[in-house]
Amino acid sequence: MTQVQRAPQPQQKGEDILVDVKNLKMYFPVMQGIMVQRKIADIKAVDDVTFYIKRGETLGLVGESGCGKTTTGRCILQLYRPTSGSVVFDGQDLMSMNAQQLRTMRRRMQIIFQDPYSSLNPRMTAGNIVGEPLVVHKLVKSKQEYRDKVAELLTTVGLNPYMADRFPHEFSGGQRQRIGVARAIATRPEFIMCDEAVSALDVSIQAQIINLLQDLQDQFNLTYLFIAHDLSVVRHISDRIAVMYLGHVVEIADRNELYANPLHPYTKALLSAVPIPDPIVEAQRERIILQGDVPSPLRPPSGCVFHTRCPIMIEECKGGVPPLREVAPNHWAACIRV
Amino acid sequence: MATTPAEQSLGVKPAQNRGLWAIAARRLLRRPKAVIAIALLAILYASGIFANVIAPYDYNHQDVTQVRQAPSTQHLLGTDYIGRDIFSRLVFSMRTSLILTVVSVITGTLLIGLILGLLAGYYGRWVDTLISRVGEVFMAFPHIFLMIIIAATIRPRVLDMIRNFEDSTGITGLVRWGIVDYLVVFGALAAFSWVGMARLVRGQILYLKETQFVDAARASGASVWRIMVVHLLPNALPPIIVAVSLGFGSVAAAEATLSFLGIGIQPPIPSLGRMIGEGQNLTILRNQPWIILPPVIVLMVIIFAWNLLGDALNDVLNPRTR
Repeated sequence: MTQVQRAPQPQQKGEDILVDVKNLKMYFPVMQGIMVQRKIADIKAVDDVTFYIKRGETLGLVGESGCGKTTTGRCILQLYRPTSGSVVFDGQDLMSMNAQQLRTMRRRMQIIFQDPYSSLNPRMTAGNIVGEPLVVHKLVKSKQEYRDKVAELLTTVGLNPYMADRFPHEFSGGQRQRIGVARAIATRPEFIMCDEAVSALDVSIQAQIINLLQDLQDQFNLTYLFIAHDLSVVRHISDRIAVMYLGHVVEIADRNELYANPLHPYTKALLSAVPIPDPIVEAQRERIILQGDVPSPLRPPSGCVFHTRCPIMIEECKGGVPPLREVAPNHWAACIRV
Repeated sequence: MATTPAEQSLGVKPAQNRGLWAIAARRLLRRPKAVIAIALLAILYASGIFANVIAPYDYNHQDVTQVRQAPSTQHLLGTDYIGRDIFSRLVFSMRTSLILTVVSVITGTLLIGLILGLLAGYYGRWVDTLISRVGEVFMAFPHIFLMIIIAATIRPRVLDMIRNFEDSTGITGLVRWGIVDYLVVFGALAAFSWVGMARLVRGQILYLKETQFVDAARASGASVWRIMVVHLLPNALPPIIVAVSLGFGSVAAAEATLSFLGIGIQPPIPSLGRMIGEGQNLTILRNQPWIILPPVIVLMVIIFAWNLLGDALNDVLNPRTR
């Protein structure tokens, strides 16, 4: 397959691409054996994913649980070393870097986690959690500078500097997530992967954190990969949205275009599941209910991975993996029937 | 959020006392069984440390005219079969027990066990396989049996080594002070105590290295060393502390066992096991109980106190029993 040719490319050559992912594959080996472990199969968590993120934009990545969203994000940050493909960050190929080179690069890309309870070390103070990246990358020269910097970071995310001496268990969920955000912006990164960053919070807190993330984006010209399963949150924060299903990106489009004009049958089904906060409209809402379950990534279906559940499936769908095609300007879908 | 003045007026404790460790320490000291255990251990081990001051006689001072005397003002706990003061020997036995348990727990259990467990848990793959399998081989044999073999076979070698060392350096008295016994017993104890600790640490690390805060540290670019020391170890510590506390009791018992069997501490250096061994026969138990009962009771109290403390620590540190 000549995959590189069908990769989505930015409209104009001059656009500034920060993260460029091409043909990313992450297969987790399934091992068996008592003394000698043998590989018996692969779990294809991410299978041939290609997209790019422009500097300063937010790319939303949606899909149901287990579709490979988080794995994709972690592969970009090289928290998992991908099986194959390329991840280029600001012109530098992360896949070919050794551990030492990567550690220096980590200053420029950060992560915010889903669970504000398990993402903070319970035995460190909030100040030390926030300040750890500063120490790791030797960005402060003195104790005083460290304290000032930590205080400044805490203020930036809406916490009080005197809270630096407190431990995670003394904070509420929303405050903990702010600590997580402060840690992520400590090194002034260019790119932050928000891995379900608001999914574990209740709705009013979600709004606060989303607003905080947007303020920080304006302030520091951040680029986000925003992974979520809450479609209304993604719609609110993203510039463009990519939809994943079973390790594949099935559709990428600008936010408004995707919500107004979903092309891929999976995207249509996914969007039809969003409830509408108006009882009359909600009652008339047409839902596309998919049949069956998501197939196992251990043995994904041949051809288009969605063909087993697709309402518009035809015989050709079982043949080959449909390429991501530009169906409308800047609107890419991986379906032979659109 | 801005509750500083209110907090201050309510007399909230200063920040440095609110960490998980400080909370655990305060909880621990509120438990009677912990206080009792700490007090017992403090008394026993302090008497060992200050044995020179406390003991009225030298541990090897013999008075053949005063054999098997009942407790009196002159000999608080009486005398043994060659007229040595039992109280003095008991106090010096505490020193032996203290030195051996502390050294073998720190080096064997903590140092070897902790490092091997950390490596096995963090690196996994063949490192884990190697360490785990070797540990299982050690666990497969009865401990006492292997300890006897080790103690019996390494003694001559250690003795030679120390003699050579004395000859070549001109330092004297190492053999006489019982350094050989210490090394032999320590070797036999350390060879086994690491396995349980390594397994415990490995399990903790396996769980902790998948946590998000470790991912966060890795994503921040933290080095392996930093992840281990700052993120993994402090969080793995609670069960380790409990295991060490329980381990002290079992190591003290194992040391006494070896000495009781005559392959641990050699006479005339006093040890609890040795003292029990010297008094072990029915006639003595019936007619001169002061010879055998004191070391037995002290050994029991040591083991009991360490277990009590371990139990209290577990109550305080284990989130599931809290």
